[in-house]
This record gives sequence, structure tokens and C-alpha cells, in this order.
Amino acid sequence: MAIQNKRFYQRRKICRFCVDSSMEIDYKNYKTLKQFITERGKIIPRRITGTCSKHQRQLATSIKQARQIALLPFVGKSF
Amino acid sequence: MRKYETVFISNPDLQEQSRKDLFEKVKNIVAKENGILVDFDDWGNKKLAYEIRKNTRGHYVCMTFGGDGDMVMEMERIFRLDDNILKFMTTLKDKDVDPEELKQEAEQDKDAEQEPSEKTTETTENTENN
Repeated sequence: MAIQNKRFYQRRKICRFCVDSSMEIDYKNYKTLKQFITERGKIIPRRITGTCSKHQRQLATSIKQARQIALLPFVGKSF
Repeated sequence: MRKYETVFISNPDLQEQSRKDLFEKVKNIVAKENGILVDFDDWGNKKLAYEIRKNTRGHYVCMTFGGDGDMVMEMERIFRLDDNILKFMTTLKDKDVDPEELKQEAEQDKDAEQEPSEKTTETTENTENN
């Protein structure tokens, strides 16, 4: 019983890029990409954001491109 | 013909005239190598996410063009020699495009740039009439 009580149900996360097709994944659109990196500048895994694998792949490439051209940091703010 | 997109960061402290010369130089590379310049987009001064050669700001320019691999090699060689270009990145947009289509696209872009300016003049006229 105790185990059952501990289990909590979470709403299934949906890929934001699949829902809104107008959202473009592009390294120039770094303001959108910013939502998918941590404060430290790491790419957030898809188990947390809920992005589908197709879009997560595109997202990772774009973030890396944006880092290359100094639109996004390699290493974010230090604490 | 391939379609490429290059973003380069130029020195933010450049004078107006030397910046114009630099842009002209870059445009000439495309013309010299028989490329088609589709778009030359000046993003202006932006804050960099990290320092590049002690600079915290940079002047971004994004240009789209049609050409081949040799042309990109030549352009990047010149970029590396130029002290006023801090960083650049070229991405492949399309592997096989028709040169004619690119020319059309380039003209459309020019038209699109001209139209808004016309519209603004119209609106100013209207406000004067009112």
C-alpha cells in the first residue's frame, strides 16, 4: 500500500515543436533555444522537457551552432 | 549550385567607413567567385555570450549566398587573414539549388526591403494630411 501511495501521476509531457509548427528550430533563433538550456549552459535532456527525439536532435545541433557563433554560452554563469 | 549561410562577427569598434569597406570586400569575394548573393543581413552590435579576443560585443552580419565549396574555402581563408573579423560560421542550407531560382529570390528580397520604406513614407504622408 505504501508504495502505491508514493506513486504520483504526472501529465504526459508533449513536444512543444510538434504542437506549434510555427516554432522554428534554428541557431539564429537563440531566444527559443535559451529555454532548452540550463543556467549553466547545458542542454536539458528530453526526459525533462518532453521534446520528441526528432526535434531534440535538431535542437542539440542548433544549440551547438549557436554556441559556435557566440549567441549562446559554452559555459553559463558561475555561482 | 549549393546554398550557404555565413554568419560573421566583425570588430564592434570599427569606424563607419572602414566597416563599409569591409562589407564591400566580403560582397566582392562572392561576386568574384561567380556566386550569387541572396541576402546580406546586418544584425548590428550584439553582446557576445563569451569573450572573443577580449571583446564583449560584436557586430553580426548574416549573409545567404549560392556558390560551391571552393568559394567557401576562399572566403574563409580571407576571413582568417582579416583582423577585423572575430569569428565566422558557414552552414549548408541546400545541397542542390537552381542558380535561376536564387537570382529570383535575391530580387524578391530586394523588393521586400524597398516596400516597407515606401509604406513608411505613405503613413507619414497620411498623418500629415490628418
